[in-house]
Amino acid sequence: MPAIAVHRGPTMKAYVVVWIGLILIVGVEVFLTYQHLPAGTLLACLLGLALIEAGLGVMYFMHLRYERPALFWSLIPYLVFALVMMDHFWPDALRLMRQRMPGS
Amino acid sequence: MGHSVTSVGAPHGAPLEESPYGIQSKKLAMWLFIVADAATFGALLFAYGYLRIANPDWTKPFAFSPTIVNGSVMTVVLLTSSLTMVAAVAAAQSGRVSASVRWLGATIVLGIGFAALHLREWFAMIGEGWRLFQNPMGGSPLFGATFFGITGLHLLHVICGVVVIGAITLGFRRGRFDAGHVETTALYWHFVDLVWMFVFPLVYLMNVR
Repeated sequence: MPAIAVHRGPTMKAYVVVWIGLILIVGVEVFLTYQHLPAGTLLACLLGLALIEAGLGVMYFMHLRYERPALFWSLIPYLVFALVMMDHFWPDALRLMRQRMPGS
Repeated sequence: MGHSVTSVGAPHGAPLEESPYGIQSKKLAMWLFIVADAATFGALLFAYGYLRIANPDWTKPFAFSPTIVNGSVMTVVLLTSSLTMVAAVAAAQSGRVSASVRWLGATIVLGIGFAALHLREWFAMIGEGWRLFQNPMGGSPLFGATFFGITGLHLLHVICGVVVIGAITLGFRRGRFDAGHVETTALYWHFVDLVWMFVFPLVYLMNVR
């Protein structure tokens, strides 16, 4: 029995569908940028769409969906944890913004 | 099955325990590199966000044409290179070497196209007076530092990727590398693509005039 299993991935048709979906999301991002949304709303929308793109890319193009779940659970939660920990710096950035507001 | 032992491929018939992840070690190593590199880009993007919030005079220099149009074309080119890369992997895994080499060649061409578009944009900005710590529009000079820093690191990844794909293509055509090498290289290339999915909206679209 070979030590490394051969995994079945998506078909080329599925890849093309994902590719079209990713390009459409980019189009939506550019469209939203020119809708004069508040900066916070625009940022939330763009980040949400970027996360969807990343999810599609990781799961289909990078085949993580077709690997053993152990690989996903060994990699992704720790990356998410590291990125979430960086959020602790935002209050300091906001403090600096209030201190440096022009005219304040 | 999860704890089975085999001697396939092991030197001198030594027992080889099955990988708990069911993948080749080089592929696992690439995943570990990708997670570490993702944290690096994450830290850069967080630093960019921090500086942007902390500087009320942040500059928004990008116009729809040429910057956003150029950035959108770059994004489509990079996404298309991911599609040609998965086609190369599929062909390599099914033993179609010449087809895989052709798709890898297409990926290289698209990667070079992305880099050329990017450098053209950089030179145009430099021509306008943008530098790492100079802002010709009079706002925060940190815009240049973050823009050139983040996009420069990404561009370096693209250029390294093109070089590595070229080396893998030559080795795969000559039979020195197998489909596993192509797949592992593809993981890196898709990661470079995914990073751009965050750089484009955060660094370009959030800085539109």
